[in-house]
Amino acid sequence: MKKLLFLFALVFAQTVLAQTYFTRTGVTEFKASVEAFEPVEAKNNSTTAILKAESGDIAAQLFINAFQFRVALMQEHFNENYMDSDKFPKAVFRGKIKDFDRQSIDPNKEYALTGTLTIRGIKKDIEAKINISVTDNKIQLKSSFSVAPKDFGIKIPSIVRNKIAEKINISLDYGLIEKK
Amino acid sequence: MALSKRSKIILFILVMGILTAFAVYLYAMRPPAKIESKTVDFSGSSDDFMTKVKQDASVWGNKVVQLTGKITSKDDKGITLSNQIYCQFRNDVDFSLLIEGEEITLKGRVIGYDDLLEELKLDQCIIQ
Repeated sequence: MKKLLFLFALVFAQTVLAQTYFTRTGVTEFKASVEAFEPVEAKNNSTTAILKAESGDIAAQLFINAFQFRVALMQEHFNENYMDSDKFPKAVFRGKIKDFDRQSIDPNKEYALTGTLTIRGIKKDIEAKINISVTDNKIQLKSSFSVAPKDFGIKIPSIVRNKIAEKINISLDYGLIEKK
Repeated sequence: MALSKRSKIILFILVMGILTAFAVYLYAMRPPAKIESKTVDFSGSSDDFMTKVKQDASVWGNKVVQLTGKITSKDDKGITLSNQIYCQFRNDVDFSLLIEGEEITLKGRVIGYDDLLEELKLDQCIIQ
């Protein structure tokens, strides 16, 4: 009887630990505005993210053409001239949240997020702080970090050089639910 | 106030110039076109469309499609058709009355094939 209970507990523990959380509608925003010029910012509401609760491994990807701008021309230039989204349709992140423990998530702690971001086929290592909170078994991930256009070979013509910030702020807000 | 003919002409040109400049500005700053006005590149069943996508997904990026299919699941932002096509509704669309198992027709823009979740993603979806 004890053996059965032990086995049951082991299987149960394994099932709990092997949880995967995901979203297909994660919000990723970027801002590259320069004061006094028109705002350069866009929002992507269709980010996919998957988190493995046991290891803290996280994989996220978004389609560049799903970034929504207020101005149509800006959206066109972004896709056609800067990002070449026909050739490089996705931006992918593969990384890990350090010290992630599904059983004891601290909403006041700034966890360390590390990984590789691939944009336009170019990889860059990223380190960022990420905030995690849980509501009704939904894990909310929030983080922000900066990248430079030249890190990914994005060439900005000198004519508009002054209108686009040197550092682009990327922020993410993903609400992950359990994958059944 | 008595304006000379010359002043009137100059004033007229000035006003026309300002109006033109304003119109050009409004055109340059226009928001992206709404999905209602975009032409459809495929119209048919979600199953048929999925077959086409499996042959070559890359050609469908950014294309606008009209799909009819069964709702296999629903979440707070959209629905899944035929288990393989996730359709995210536009923010102003009220889809609260849709239920799983229902057949619907919607129009949306193809974002691309998501290999992480193995499904096709659509956004800007509206109910037809």
